[in-house]
Amino acid sequence: MTSTFVYDSDQARRPLVSELRNLWNYRGLLRLLVTRDLTVRYKRSTLGVWWTLLNPLLFMVVLWMVFGQIFRFDTPGNTPYIVYLLSGIVYITFFSQGLIATGSSIVNSSSILTKVFVPPEVFAISSSVAALVNFAISLLPLIAVQLITGVGVPWTMLLVPIPALCMLMLVAGLGLLVASAAVFFYDVLDLAAVGVLILTYLTPTFYPISIVPEQFLWVVEANPLYSFLLVFRGFVYEGAFAPGWAFAVMIGTAIGFLLLGAWVFARSWKSLVVLI
Amino acid sequence: MTPAIEVHNASLAFQLTRDRVGTLKEFAIQTVKRKVKKEQLWAVRDVSFTVAPGEVLGVIGPNGAGKSTLMKMVARVLPPTRGRVVVRGVVAPMIELGAGFNPEMTAYENLILYGTLLGRTPGQMQERAAAICDWADLNDFIDVPTRSYSSGMLARLGFSVATDINPEVLVVDEVLSVGDAAFQEKSKQRMMEMIGQGAAVLFVSHDLETVKALSDRALWLDHGTVQGVGAPSDVVSAYQSTFAGQQDEQLDQ
Repeated sequence: MTSTFVYDSDQARRPLVSELRNLWNYRGLLRLLVTRDLTVRYKRSTLGVWWTLLNPLLFMVVLWMVFGQIFRFDTPGNTPYIVYLLSGIVYITFFSQGLIATGSSIVNSSSILTKVFVPPEVFAISSSVAALVNFAISLLPLIAVQLITGVGVPWTMLLVPIPALCMLMLVAGLGLLVASAAVFFYDVLDLAAVGVLILTYLTPTFYPISIVPEQFLWVVEANPLYSFLLVFRGFVYEGAFAPGWAFAVMIGTAIGFLLLGAWVFARSWKSLVVLI
Repeated sequence: MTPAIEVHNASLAFQLTRDRVGTLKEFAIQTVKRKVKKEQLWAVRDVSFTVAPGEVLGVIGPNGAGKSTLMKMVARVLPPTRGRVVVRGVVAPMIELGAGFNPEMTAYENLILYGTLLGRTPGQMQERAAAICDWADLNDFIDVPTRSYSSGMLARLGFSVATDINPEVLVVDEVLSVGDAAFQEKSKQRMMEMIGQGAAVLFVSHDLETVKALSDRALWLDHGTVQGVGAPSDVVSAYQSTFAGQQDEQLDQ
């Protein structure tokens, strides 16, 4: 009997190559898992998927009242604070939501992974992609706020897929690292949540970089998310390209973490699967 | 003929749960106290066998012998710690049927997802959905969330999805005992059909009569190692005699 399907346990996984092939072969499952992620969460609520639009807006209103009305931050250029704020929230939420979801994906789907053979990376990446879709949806309220405040939408908005894809790569790579570690030590997820919080506060999301004292400026600039945000804000409302070093940091971080995450995950899967 | 399933000196080790350090915090504390122990449990040790296409191998043994672990190794879920496993052909794994059913989703949505988990495409599953529900006798409940399903109904749906292809390799872990008598008969028939079409079958059962009736060869597993392979009646009676011997010893004490 000849068959196209042969499983040989000796066949080593080739990091990244195996993963990409698995993702392609299981693209139908990937699509189902992403839709499940987006719909099941809101299945029992009346507003349903509309929450995806409302969440960043509600968050924005709270922060706008605190920092826009009480602290009265000045934003770079003549951008209204509310646009500066919402653009930051939308992009950084992509990072924090995606990282936590990807990091917990393997532990959460252990009941399936121990009974049916499915490439585990499909579960991890589906969480990252779901975060990307959420991000894309939340661009709509951002565009609405830009139109209402008279900032308008520059043509560079069409280039937003570049920082979006880079963020997807960062979230997937870093998420795979967290996912592997979470199988060994469950509390890594709690640690990751704290880490994400610290990292997002070190990113000028709701405060302008100008309020950071000069001796601490390097801390913010050393944070790769700052570069991501510079590129994103440049495209979304400034209609300008961020400085070249920001692009370099963004692309380098994205590719570096994706390679590292895929490599560590592929290498450790054999010792992970007997633990989940 | 090339065997459909080849298992060469395969072993699998689990980290023991009671000694497993589950959190970083514990790990730090235990490291300071110098108490991190690495204890391994070899669930399957040095097992070798082959199954040819169209052949049925029944696996018997007491609870905790490593039977389910062996099934999962052949079903690709657990890679062997040592040794090698080769499986040629489309595999229908029937291990805890319906793993991955989401209680919030309807039977139809679950059926599509489960089939896709088993390696089919959502498109193929949409085409086959009616036939699958028909076979499982669940036509009236297709749009009902599975949280209101009974365990028997879930098993029927799972079995129907898993066997809706012509698999070349069937891995069956004790699932023939689910459902009522009529369904058991129906599922046994379906298995016979697939064997007739040349599928290689590896199955676990505690029902020794079924093992004698269905299998061409039997494999007796205990403490992770092979105690005997051969004609089903010989292996079953050897297994039964040690079992009887143990009972006698217990009675003597």
